Amino acid sequence: MTSYSATTTIAAHAVRLALRERMVALLGLLFIALVVISAWLGWSATSTVNNIYVSAAAFLTDTGQVVPPNPVHNISPLSLMRNMVVYVALIGALSAIVIGNRLVALDRRNGVVPLISIRPVTRAGYALGKIAALVVLVGALTGVAAAISAITFLVLPQTALTGAEWLRLLGYFGLSATYMLLFGLLALASAAASRSESVGLLIPVTIWLALTFILPSLTANILPTAAINPIAALAPAPDTAFFHWTQTLFGPLSLAESYKIASAALLDFLPAGRGGILPLAATGWLFTATALSAASAAYALTRMDRTTGDLDV
Amino acid sequence: MSKVTTNPVFIVAGKDVSDAGRDRFILLVTLFLTVAAIVSLVTGAIALATDVATYDAAKATLLALGKPIDAIATPEFYPLRLLRGAIEQTEIIGAAIAILMGYRAAASERGRQTLALIMTRPVRRWQFLAGKALAGLLLLTGGLFVVLSLGAIALHLVSGVGLNTMDLLRIGIVWIVAVAYTTCFFLTAFILTLWMKRPPQALLAAFCLWLLLVLIAPQIGDTLDPDNQVAGGVFAQLHIAKPDQVEIMKGFATFETVRTGIEAASITKHFERFAFAVLGIKDTYAGVPLGAILWEKWGDALFILLASLGLGGILLVLPIRSDRLTKE
Repeated sequence: MTSYSATTTIAAHAVRLALRERMVALLGLLFIALVVISAWLGWSATSTVNNIYVSAAAFLTDTGQVVPPNPVHNISPLSLMRNMVVYVALIGALSAIVIGNRLVALDRRNGVVPLISIRPVTRAGYALGKIAALVVLVGALTGVAAAISAITFLVLPQTALTGAEWLRLLGYFGLSATYMLLFGLLALASAAASRSESVGLLIPVTIWLALTFILPSLTANILPTAAINPIAALAPAPDTAFFHWTQTLFGPLSLAESYKIASAALLDFLPAGRGGILPLAATGWLFTATALSAASAAYALTRMDRTTGDLDV
Repeated sequence: MSKVTTNPVFIVAGKDVSDAGRDRFILLVTLFLTVAAIVSLVTGAIALATDVATYDAAKATLLALGKPIDAIATPEFYPLRLLRGAIEQTEIIGAAIAILMGYRAAASERGRQTLALIMTRPVRRWQFLAGKALAGLLLLTGGLFVVLSLGAIALHLVSGVGLNTMDLLRIGIVWIVAVAYTTCFFLTAFILTLWMKRPPQALLAAFCLWLLLVLIAPQIGDTLDPDNQVAGGVFAQLHIAKPDQVEIMKGFATFETVRTGIEAASITKHFERFAFAVLGIKDTYAGVPLGAILWEKWGDALFILLASLGLGGILLVLPIRSDRLTKE
């Protein structure tokens, strides 16, 4: 068996095994359901704002007041998908963690790691196979989300996208896949390095909690419930020395915030003139963090103990 | 030995609490939540100080120009409002920590094979389960006491305003409801971990519920709020006063009913509404007497209390399955 075919076999087997896991399937379905809800929410909320404007305009006209321009006209059709940013940051990231964890934990719990080690499979081949399986599964999840979004834009009236906007949408799903991979790779590393199955799951979950709910508070005074609102999460940090310092020190680590800023720029709902972290810098930090996460996964997988076949709870 | 200490419920609870004292897990998660709460509190205080400085600068400019200072609104300062971040961290991270504690309470027994052993001892099944639940309740009570006490001390230090007895009473009431709220998540994870075939899958199932109840249901309700769809708020952009907003929104009564219905399905939203009202975080409750707030918000507290009691009842009623005594 060549190294390439062994890696392919491991990747294909890992994908099949993960897909048989009910929890992976459940989270995947939940994510896809939320993608559909996200499209509906975007449409419903925008329509309601438009209807409110019509009512408000009638009221302002009756009372002899000036009618301001309709805020809906300032909203890009791409921003219809703004809720998707929150769902990827929440359930997309968590799904990737579960997938990453299962890809390794199942092998360890089933006791097949020592068996694999006596086969002609190099450590690097095993690691590459697991990472490839993760990329395939996360890519499939993002692909389904992208297809649903594309269908939404094609079906909904008054949401015709230009060629540039389709490219932006594609870029957004590429960014989302990268963000999910970041957590999936962390989960791979953690599952390979931990002695306990639960600890292997809890380490990436804790990192995700800190990145999503604590760091944005430190760098931009974004409270946890604001972090789950696509518009409120983009509020600029107060213009003080403290927040300038925290953004300099912790900005590159505040990856959930970076993902939301870069996504808002791609989906065209980043408030004009917003200071703080720039979308390009945010994208750079995300890709750097994902590369580091991939390196940690490769390191942990190639150094995983291949002599024991069971995990603690 | 007294009767209380020989009661199996208290023996089981006492053992779990003493185990938690030796185990660094509870200490670490309490520290994690405390850090999260204090970070939110301090950053909120710094942001508030910026607003006050902006107001002072604007006031000084107006005075220098000889203009009246009533042209700008005086910022209102309610120290308890700075606890908003701590409450939000409790409703999200506190609930997640309670899930981990509930999971560990059951998974440790299954993983160490001690659940089967206990079933052979002269301890009634409900006594064992009640003891485990009581231990969880005590640990959550202690952990949240530490978080809110340190939050109150930090609040005093960063705001420079002393908290009076009424402020402490308000924090105390929120603490009790926070314990009931987090207990719901503890019990959910505990029940699932006892019942599901594989403990790690139970942990994931509990986290799925957490996602739906704590994050997604409030997120959907929040997103459907038209005022959250436009930066700064749709009515602010249209320059429409509050009474006129109410009049316009009467035409969207069904939409608002659906939106609030989605929010009300989440226990987290009940906790948030209660805590924000009692602490005066929501504008309409700032300066309102505590009695009036409790009278208006008792329904939210009752929802949380009944949910925790209901889950406690389910725990005691469900039998422990013989094929779920170990980790597989």
